[in-house]
Amino acid sequence: MRDIFTGRLVRLSAIDPEEMSKAFARWNRDSEFTRLLNMSVTRLNSSKAIQKWLEKEVEEPSPTDFFFTIRSLDEDKLIGGLGLDGIDWAAREAFIGIFIGEREYWGKGCGTDAMRIILRYAFTELNVWRVSLGVFDYNPRAIRSYEKVGFRHEGRMRQYLNHEGKRWDILFMGIQRDEWLQL
Amino acid sequence: MKDIFTGKLVRLSAFDPEEMSKALTRWNLNSEFQRLLNASPHRMQSTKSMLKLLEEEVGELSPMSYFFSIRTLAEDKLIGGLNLDVFNWSVRDAFVGLGIGETEYWSKGYGTDVMNILLRYAFTEINLHRVTLSVFEYNPGAIRSYEKAGFRHEGHLRKLLNREGHRWDEIHMGILREEWMGLDTWR
Repeated sequence: MRDIFTGRLVRLSAIDPEEMSKAFARWNRDSEFTRLLNMSVTRLNSSKAIQKWLEKEVEEPSPTDFFFTIRSLDEDKLIGGLGLDGIDWAAREAFIGIFIGEREYWGKGCGTDAMRIILRYAFTELNVWRVSLGVFDYNPRAIRSYEKVGFRHEGRMRQYLNHEGKRWDILFMGIQRDEWLQL
Repeated sequence: MKDIFTGKLVRLSAFDPEEMSKALTRWNLNSEFQRLLNASPHRMQSTKSMLKLLEEEVGELSPMSYFFSIRTLAEDKLIGGLNLDVFNWSVRDAFVGLGIGETEYWSKGYGTDVMNILLRYAFTEINLHRVTLSVFEYNPGAIRSYEKAGFRHEGHLRKLLNREGHRWDEIHMGILREEWMGLDTWR
């Protein structure tokens, strides 16, 4: 049986709060990264504060949250992270968040590869029914990547975000198990 | 829409550790109740230690476990308790444990009514795929009740129990969602 956590370019590995907090604090200084990652007001956090938060998250494995780090296969380098969180088990729906923090790995298919691994995990290991995500309309590279792995456009909240004096939409995308099985 | 927690004889209500610890301590004085309930050696527990145990168990609202108390519809009297443990969401199977502590409510269909409510909750509220239970060979009343609710026999752990100098089987029963959907007990 092939390893379920290995793709073509990357593999998923466990979160080590110490390693991840250092990397994340560094990525976080890149405000373009935080703009693409989430819609909160960008703030700078010390690696210590991030470590404390991560330790709490990974301390007790939760049946509704599954977090991983992303490593390149060529150099085993930590390049990002991803997680399925807040799984609604009665509906079997999971929300995915994913990021590549190392800029030199942007636009090279690593995110797409990681997404392929986590969808396989979601649909054949956790056996959820659907996976949802949110993405911002100023991130066409991510949108294209999600389309490639099979996500469909499901809706948008118009003019929701306000960054750099402009309004931007949040797009919602989703993929269902039966759609994924067809790929 | 009808209330999902109400049956014909009983309803499921919230699990109050304080109320339940008092009732359970009393029910536990009856060794027959304890014999039917679980496989551990019978021991006596104070209400205080029972309360601590229950508070720990139900303290955190978790998608892995669901606790209820059982009340009669006629008098709103607490007569038992049950819990549903989903030990693995990726397969959507849960283990159900059910006890009627008040002996005057035994063999009158109360447990079967509870199980009907519980299965409806398991299959249409949290959308499980199967429900599993275990029961002891010397408890034919419960076995019959589970059969009535739709459970099928799936296997025996032969001579697992050792009580009063005898060996007894532990019987495992289960019901699948599609089997349950075919029953008329839930409509």
